[in-house]
Parts: sequence; C-alpha cells; structure tokens
Amino acid sequence: MSMVIDTHIHPALFAPICEDPARFHFRCDEMNYHLMSPVDLELLKKQLALADIRGVFLLGEDCSYDRGQSAISNEEIARLVELEPELFIGFASVDPRCPDAEETLRRAFTELKLAGLCLNTAKCRLYPYDERIFRLCEVCRDYKKPVVLHSGLCLERDAFSRYARPADFEELIAAFPQVNFCLTHVGWPWVQETAALLIKYPNAYANTALMNFDGPVQLYHKVFKEDMGEYWVEHNLADKLMFGSDSPRIRPVRAKRGLDALKLRPDVMEKLCRKNALRFLGREDQP
Amino acid sequence: MKTALERFTVIADAEFQLIRITDTVKAFAENCGILNGVAFVITLHTTTGITINESLPCVEKDIEEQLERLIPSDYPFNHNHYLPSYGTIGGNSPGHLKSLLTGNHCVLPLVDGALVLGNAADIYFCEYDGIKKRKYLVYVMGD
Repeated sequence: MSMVIDTHIHPALFAPICEDPARFHFRCDEMNYHLMSPVDLELLKKQLALADIRGVFLLGEDCSYDRGQSAISNEEIARLVELEPELFIGFASVDPRCPDAEETLRRAFTELKLAGLCLNTAKCRLYPYDERIFRLCEVCRDYKKPVVLHSGLCLERDAFSRYARPADFEELIAAFPQVNFCLTHVGWPWVQETAALLIKYPNAYANTALMNFDGPVQLYHKVFKEDMGEYWVEHNLADKLMFGSDSPRIRPVRAKRGLDALKLRPDVMEKLCRKNALRFLGREDQP
Repeated sequence: MKTALERFTVIADAEFQLIRITDTVKAFAENCGILNGVAFVITLHTTTGITINESLPCVEKDIEEQLERLIPSDYPFNHNHYLPSYGTIGGNSPGHLKSLLTGNHCVLPLVDGALVLGNAADIYFCEYDGIKKRKYLVYVMGD
C-alpha cells in the first residue's frame, strides 16, 4: 500500500494554533472535545506516519455568526499549511449566514491559498438548499475548488442532524456539476442516502470518517458490509469513497485499521486511500 | 531518611514499544545523594507499564506478540464506545489491559550508591497506547 491521504482531520488540538488558552477552551467547548491537551506537530506527524498518512485535509470550522468567533479560523488553517505544506491541505470554512461570507471565501482562496471549502450546515442550522449556501458554491465553482460538506450526525455542541441529511444535499450537488462535493462520515446514519447520491452524481464523493459505535473494526464492517451490500464498495463505489479518520475523535491509525479489516482488493484500497482524494482535489496528475 | 524525586518524559515510535530506560534510572538514582535505600520507577499513565526483563530483540518481540495473543487489538471491548466526557471513542482498552499485566512500577535496591540489577535485567517503560508524550517518576528513599 502506498501513501495514504486522510481526508478528515479537525486540527483543533494542533499546538501551533493553541497558544491562546481562552481560544483553545472556546474551541474545545464548541467542538465537544474534552480533557485533551494541545499536541506538538512533530508528535502528530509520528502518529500519522503509523498509518503511512502523507496527506491530510485540515478542516476549518466557522460558525461565527452567532458564536462571535470561528472555532478554527481560515488564518489558523493557513498557518498550519505554511508549517507543513507537503503534508497539509487546508480547507476554509465560512459561515454562510455572515453578510460578507462570499468575500471571506474569496480571500481564503486568493490570499490564504486554501484548497477548498468546508461547511457544517448542522452547526450553522441551515438547510442544504439554502440560497446562501448556493452562493458560496458559486464562488467555489468560479475558483475550481471542492467542497467538504458535513453530513449526518454531528457530535458537536448545538448541532442538529436534520440540517445535514445526505439526501437534502442533492439539489446543491446537482446544481454545480463542475464542483466536487464530499459528504463526510458517509452521511451516517443515513448511509444508503449517501450511497444513492454517489451512484447518481459524478461529482459526489463521501469520506469514511466513522466514529460512533464500537471499535473501528466492528463499525467499518457494520457500515460497509451490512448497512451497504456486500459488494457495494468494490463494485459500485470504489471511485467515490475516500478514507478519513475524524481525528481527534479517533486516532487515524485506528480508523485506518477499520478500513484495512474490510480486506478490500488492493486496487480498491489504492483508490480509497489516495487516488480518489487526488481526483476530488483536481490533482489526478500528482504522483 | 532522605528522598529524591525526578520526572522523565518519553515518546515511543510505535503504538507498542518497550523502551529501555535503565541508563536514565541508574544515572538519577546513583547521583541523587542517597547511598543506601530503594528506588521506585513509576509510570503516571494507565495504558503504559514498567517492567524488568532481558534486553534482547527476540525477547521483546515475544513479549509483544504474547500480549497481542492474550489481548487482541480488534476484540470488541466494552470500552469501545463513544465517551461523552472526552468527545472521543474509547479505543485503548488493549493498552489498559496490557498495563494491568505489567503493572505501573518496579522497585530496586540501592546499595553503596549503586543500583542493584541482575546481569540480564533491564528496566523498560512499556508503551501500549502510543504515540503520546509520556511521563514516569524515579523516586529514591534512603540515607
């Protein structure tokens, strides 16, 4: 198995952006991470290396319209990418409810050089067909940037799943065929809704990022061999699924162990672990 | 009676690793100003251990593999569930159980300023839930 790309890490505990204790406390409270401390980048890199992870989607989080500040700002994501440009792929986050959301997103792409947009409609309490989200996706279309959409249950504080059901993203995905969309967590618990969108829309992807019941070995089997049909991943979704851990809720090496335990064909694992993520980013030509 | 206490930090390179700390413990115990007494080596964590064994790669591998046979990483442990108090999944039951087997400390005599160890004996910090920044104590009591 060659290098792995983890498409789902929230860098909430990454030490370079945890220097302000009050801000760190606010972030952990917002994102529902407790009893944990900041971790140095060198230690994080060793943890990632255990699963041969050589690329990481760093997801920002902005719900500032009613929280007063973002949990992980675009500037913080950009700072981390600057520290490890070969490892980190930074995703901006913008609260669609903010009047200057589109301008903030343009700045994230042009000045901060971020690779895409990450939206959490469950947290912002916006339905996926809200016109403010469409306007942000127009910006992504113009700049040729992919969009990561939180889908399914969100374990963060004051976030509600009804705003993030996979099927409700269909109009958005259909309206922007030039934009690649990733439904996170396979839309759990609405796994079959996610699978339905994946087979219909060429620009629809999903990442694994599962962390809800049992250990990763049991959970990945439940979702990909029971909730989905035995052959769905290998025969139908091999080009549409991407590995993601959902760290820091689970360590990447453990999440990867769940995927490994599915014993998928090597060519399918290669797609899930790397090739699909590169295509999602528009970097298919990258080795 | 006098006492001396020092904290040491250790970071493994793998999820499971037996890290030899004999030289560090000896250096502190034999230079802390106490000539005769006992030295305690104590880990501060519940998914690590302290043990004494022979420092041969084959022995270390046998220890790792036997612990894995006794406590398989992919077993459906009770601890494998969402922990609201952390916001994470409890994925480290193997570490807790391996820690149970090796215990959290070892005790060695200090005689005439020298730590007494058998010829084949080395002190190990056992990482069962890496990779993390870990701490252990060396506490010496005597005169």
